[in-house]
This record gives sequence, structure tokens and C-alpha cells, in this order.
Amino acid sequence: MTRLVEISVAEAVLIRARAGDLGAQQLIYAAVAPATLTLIRRFVGYGAISQDLFQDTMVTLYERLAQFRGEAPLGAWLRQIAISKCLMYLRSPWSRARLCLAGLDRETSAAATPLTTAATPAEMIDVERALAQLAPTARAVLWMYEVEGYSHEEIARSFGRSVSFSKSQLARAHARLRTWFAPQDPESHAQRVRS
Amino acid sequence: MHNESDPERDVARALRALPADDARPYEWQEFLARRAHAASGLRSIGGGALVAAAVLAVAGVAAWVRFDHHAVSTAVTADAPADAAAPADAAEPRAAERWLESLPREPAIVRVGTRADVLILEDRIAQVDDLLTAGSVERAQAGHLLALQRTRARLVSSLVQVRYAETLADESR
Repeated sequence: MTRLVEISVAEAVLIRARAGDLGAQQLIYAAVAPATLTLIRRFVGYGAISQDLFQDTMVTLYERLAQFRGEAPLGAWLRQIAISKCLMYLRSPWSRARLCLAGLDRETSAAATPLTTAATPAEMIDVERALAQLAPTARAVLWMYEVEGYSHEEIARSFGRSVSFSKSQLARAHARLRTWFAPQDPESHAQRVRS
Repeated sequence: MHNESDPERDVARALRALPADDARPYEWQEFLARRAHAASGLRSIGGGALVAAAVLAVAGVAAWVRFDHHAVSTAVTADAPADAAAPADAAEPRAAERWLESLPREPAIVRVGTRADVLILEDRIAQVDDLLTAGSVERAQAGHLLALQRTRARLVSSLVQVRYAETLADESR
């Protein structure tokens, strides 16, 4: 399992890609695309919007590749672009209006979780479902803080909000998840996973 | 012994244990195709404005015809003064009047579906919203943002008028 932030690409490939070599660009795509789409889905769910944001992120990557100075892994740089795209989507008035529609909210969150496969451990499906239950903003803050390692100050800057906004969103997300993960009788837990 | 922060650590551990690269994006060729399609779409935003203008013109003419027809019927049935049957005639552009005069005396019944037009306009507004948000975040030039805001205002105005035409059409049925 490789996180996007850890993915590096050989300098020679980068040079060719910057020069417009499609073969090199394809190599980069193969290296970063799965982790990029996975990250975007953590923010916006599994709906069609994740595909749009992924496409947009990758297009921006190639457009700005000349600006990448190689001080950090390419994946870390790309992560910034992907998260920025996701937050722009979450902040846009259009997106907020759409999320107000209950049906669409369901579509982009809980109802849009991936199909269960035999290869996916049940615990992970449970975590995915729990994450999908959160409001998009709370989910984004939780993911940025707990997994991507952003500080409250960085999250606040990303959202254009105060530090207390970040802290309260995180607390809210944890409170929701605590009820989800709270120990309970096995039957109701299994029922919740099936639902 | 558990303390208050344990559940939070458990949640964080569970989140970090989720797969980080299990998504299966579409192939490279598909990416290239979508990129090319998007580029042509951006080029056609100007064309989109033309389409919106055409839609507006059609909807406006349809609404005017319906409104005018409705006003004439009302005037005849209510025996109202003759000048009440032609609202705002003087304000109508001459070209539109000439075009109307060229139509058959008994107009064919035409149903203009506006649903697709409304969706197109809403999509265009969403695209411009995205560009505006991106422009604000990336501190784009004020002129660029202003142009986007004007485009958005035009699209919203078109949408309002199409929807208004819909309501007039509904009322006249």
C-alpha cells in the first residue's frame, strides 16, 4: 500500500514528461493515478464527481509539471493539487446547494460506497461506511488531520476559515464516528454493516 | 487502562489502515480522450454562449407568441379596449414584428421542450462557478474574474428568462 505522498518518479521521466513526451507522462499516470483517485474518493465519495476531480487534478499536474522543483516527492506535490481541487469543489456554492438536496447527499456519501468484495476485509468496509456517513466538510477535515497529517492551522487556511472551525469539525467527526465504533451487540453491528 | 483520547486514536488508526491506492482509474487513453474533449469544450464556451442566446431567443419568441395570443383571446372574450390586446407593442423590436408578420395567420402548435436547455444552462453556470472559485483561490487577474462574473450573470439571466417562459407557457395551457 503506497500513499500518494510517498510516490516518487525518476528525474529522467520527469524531464521527458515536462518536454511533452507522452510515454513519460503515461508512466507518471500509471504511478500516481490509483493513489490520487483513492485520495479524492476519501474527500468526495464514490460518485461521478470523484472522476471529474481526478481528471481535473491529472490535467493540472501535466499543465504545471514545469513548476515542480523536485524538493519533495511528486506524490506530495500532486496531493496538494488533489486536495485543493476537492476543497474547491466542497466550498463552491454550486456544490453546497447540490449537497443540500438530500437525494444527492445520499448518492455521494453512504449510498455511493463501493460494492463489497470478498477481498475487502469486513472491518475496512465498516470504516469506509462510517466515513461515508460524515458530512463532506467534516470528512475532509478528519481525513486531512488524522491521515494526511495537516495541522489545524493548515486546514483552516485551506478552507479559508478559523482554527476553531477545523477543531470543531474534527470533534464533530470524532463524535459521529465514536457512536459508530462504540461496542455493541454483534447482531446490531452486523445489521448496520449490511444496511 | 483507557483514557478519553483512546477512541480517537482508534479511529485514526482505522482510517490510516484503509487502502491508499486501491482505486482503479480509467486507462491512459481514456484520460487523453477526456482531456481532449474538455479542451474542445472550453473552446466552445463562446459557442455555448451563442447556444444560450439562441435558446433565449427561441424561448422569448415562444413566450411572446403565447403571451400575445393569450392577451388577444382575453381581449376578445372580455370585450376589452383594443389597445389592451397589444401589450408593449411599441417596445418590441421591429425585426421581431416583421418576423411575426411573416408567420402564417394560424400558427402551428409548437411544443418547445426547455428541460434540456435548462440543464445546459445550469451546467454552464456550474462550470463558471468552478472557474470563479479556482480563479479566486489562485488569485487570478481582476479582469479575468470580472469577465467570468459577467458571463455568469448573462447565463443566470438566460436561465431566468427560459424558466419565466416556461411559467408563461404553463399558464397559457
